[in-house]
Amino acid sequence: MTLLPLIMAVEVEGEAELVKRLQRRDPQALAALYDRYGRLVYSLILRVVRDTGVAEDLVQETFLRVWNRVQGFDAERGAVGPWLLAVARNRAIDYLRSTVGKARNSLEMEATEHPALFSDMEKDILATDKARQIKAALEKLSAHQRQVIELAYFEGLSQTEMAERMGQPLGTVKTWVRAALKNLRNELGTAVAI
Amino acid sequence: MNCDELQGHYELYVLGLAEEEESREIRQHLDRGCEVCMRELGSARELAAMVGGTAVMAAPPPALRRRILASVGVEARRLGWWAPVWGVAGITALSVAVFVALFFRGREVDLAQQLVDSREQVRNQTIELTRLTEAFAIMNGPDTTEASFGKGPQQPPKGRVFVNPAQGVLLIASNLPPAPNGKTYEMWLLPKRGMPMPAGLFQSQTDGTALYVRRGTVNVNGTNAVAVTLENAAGAPQPTVQPLIVAALPSNS
Repeated sequence: MTLLPLIMAVEVEGEAELVKRLQRRDPQALAALYDRYGRLVYSLILRVVRDTGVAEDLVQETFLRVWNRVQGFDAERGAVGPWLLAVARNRAIDYLRSTVGKARNSLEMEATEHPALFSDMEKDILATDKARQIKAALEKLSAHQRQVIELAYFEGLSQTEMAERMGQPLGTVKTWVRAALKNLRNELGTAVAI
Repeated sequence: MNCDELQGHYELYVLGLAEEEESREIRQHLDRGCEVCMRELGSARELAAMVGGTAVMAAPPPALRRRILASVGVEARRLGWWAPVWGVAGITALSVAVFVALFFRGREVDLAQQLVDSREQVRNQTIELTRLTEAFAIMNGPDTTEASFGKGPQQPPKGRVFVNPAQGVLLIASNLPPAPNGKTYEMWLLPKRGMPMPAGLFQSQTDGTALYVRRGTVNVNGTNAVAVTLENAAGAPQPTVQPLIVAALPSNS
């Protein structure tokens, strides 16, 4: 897994006001949102689809989708960064799977990116110090554990598909997945209230 | 299942790895407004967001920002089909203007403002040229397939699609009124087998014209037609209404 120094001095101050401007249909607020998160969203999508042209189209769809659904977002309690990343990942994984004839369940996608679900989250979850913590936590995982997290998150593979890809029994893959998530929970205990 | 039994499944659910039974249970808890599940899923989403943030950082092209703003109605000056000509002419004229301004010293403030304006104009024209260059590359590709639509009197939207296996799809349309509030146009690739594949959202101009480029590879031989539907603004994973446009590719017509 390639884990490069992240990221993201994402500015969260004034985010509630930014969301309110989006809800008032202020196009300049969309520009501000893009300036704040565009690079992050593009990087995530490009990591998944590995095609710059497709990535650009999907970034556009991501921001358009957020623009059109922001009325359902809680400006005061919501964390817009995680929401954007969830929408971006869904668009990218959906594209990836559609190219191999494995379309995703649209209900599942809706269920994982509904704006109301991103309330009461840490607003600075994408800040630099948190990025360092997740990087360190991922580096502590075994190679197999990192690989299954990567295959799940960045390629959208099910555990069965991972088992086929890795040539391993399904039970083994499930064990790696659970161990990886448990280790991440333990390592990030202070960062994520899991 | 109660919430205790669902412990350990929340991250799997967020990552799309949960078994159907647990997924259904979690959805039912959410539908009931279960605060425990909401909280646990919030934590799982935080973890997922942090993993997403580990992608190698890459810089999007500058034109993408304007493309996105244009899709919500922040349009630069319309340049028309002769944009490349005007683009070159405009850049030349601006250069001359800058030279003249430099020649007549003592107007530093005006000059500075002109430079700012000039840069902005050049930037906008360059972005528009980039989009048109993409369109022309598809139109002029030796292996591009072309199809018309809307020839009948009962089908107002008229135009053409150009499908290039390596570069993508270009759709040019007229008589395509701006989508109503809350709606957007969605393009689809209709494969010979299987379900329609979403190919991006776009808006038409106020004069009913549209030029939309969907970049990326296309399996032309496996594609029957290109279609467009009017969908809710967020788009749809599958068409929800009859298409306004269906352009059958020549080998299939």
